Amino acid sequence: MAADPQPPEGSPLAGVTRPALFASFLKMGLLGFGGVLPWARRVIVDERGWLDDREFAQLIGLCQVLPGPNVVNLAVIIGARTQGPIGSLIAVSGILFVPVALMLAIAAFYASLADNVHARNAIAGASAAAAGLIVGTALRLLLHARPPPRGLVTGATAFVAVGILQWPLLWVITVLIPAGIALEWRASRTDAERKHAKRE
Amino acid sequence: MSSADIVAEIAVRFTALSLVAIGGINAILPEIHRVVVDVEGWMTSAQFVELFALAQLAPGPNAMIVALVGWKVAGVVGALVATAAVCGPSSVACYIAWQWADRLREAPLRGVIQRALAPIAIGLIMASGYTLARGADRSLGALALTLLATAALAFTRINPVWVLLAAAAVGIGGLA
Repeated sequence: MAADPQPPEGSPLAGVTRPALFASFLKMGLLGFGGVLPWARRVIVDERGWLDDREFAQLIGLCQVLPGPNVVNLAVIIGARTQGPIGSLIAVSGILFVPVALMLAIAAFYASLADNVHARNAIAGASAAAAGLIVGTALRLLLHARPPPRGLVTGATAFVAVGILQWPLLWVITVLIPAGIALEWRASRTDAERKHAKRE
Repeated sequence: MSSADIVAEIAVRFTALSLVAIGGINAILPEIHRVVVDVEGWMTSAQFVELFALAQLAPGPNAMIVALVGWKVAGVVGALVATAAVCGPSSVACYIAWQWADRLREAPLRGVIQRALAPIAIGLIMASGYTLARGADRSLGALALTLLATAALAFTRINPVWVLLAAAAVGIGGLA
């Protein structure tokens, strides 16, 4: 049986209307300069009170494990909890459509500036920094997660295969994900046996 | 290749990537780069990184880079198809997973899978950073900007948009 798609009585999510749902996700998408997640927390937890901090953190944890853009996944789930599948569509449209339209307008404007030397220099500088932001994101995640040696091996393999050797991603992860799960599974069994042995 | 062929190619390639974007869009950037730069030759590596920088400067989710890549190779239709292809399948998967979330929480394999995926996702994001840096860093000044931005993001809580704007200003000064 699937979980009940309706939130329990009394949950703040039960009374959210479709326009409010759309407007809230539109706001997160439009204010999300340099990342939508901080704004998502602000709107969902502080402003609307739809979730508390703990619920929000749990939901983000789930969104990060699932494939796809994290904030789009967040929109899918919050939308589903308020209005079912239609709610998911409304929330995802809110967070995607207007930013995409704006993005295209910016891109068209940038294309008209393509021959301007200052614009080219500015974007060269921003490009270099943008690369660093992603390296920094990875570093931050690494310092936060502190994976065990087996995790360092699978992570380093992913980096070398996809980044340096530029092998096709689908091949790499078809091998790497089962291998990672097998290593992790063996480690969890060894841990359990060790605990068991200690108890005896 | 006609525009319709390009759009079809984007739809097929990006739909497949949607379901393997563990850790989000940043995990599939090297693959998008490989397809549009190395395999199809639709743009140079430097142009790809410029689009990425533009996407970072604009508001909206990380998925905006995908819309820009679609726009660059096939106009507005390309942008819409690319965005739908990357967000659609993962959203459906997310909806299904959410309905089963309570049951999944008790599954013994869930923790194992989560711990196995996390370092792989980090490795893929690192690969994205490396791919972007190779496209962007054509001078020592640019390399220095990359390293400074890396440090700013890894060790401070500064909003990344300020880092990008500062780097753009340095770029106008002719240092990148």
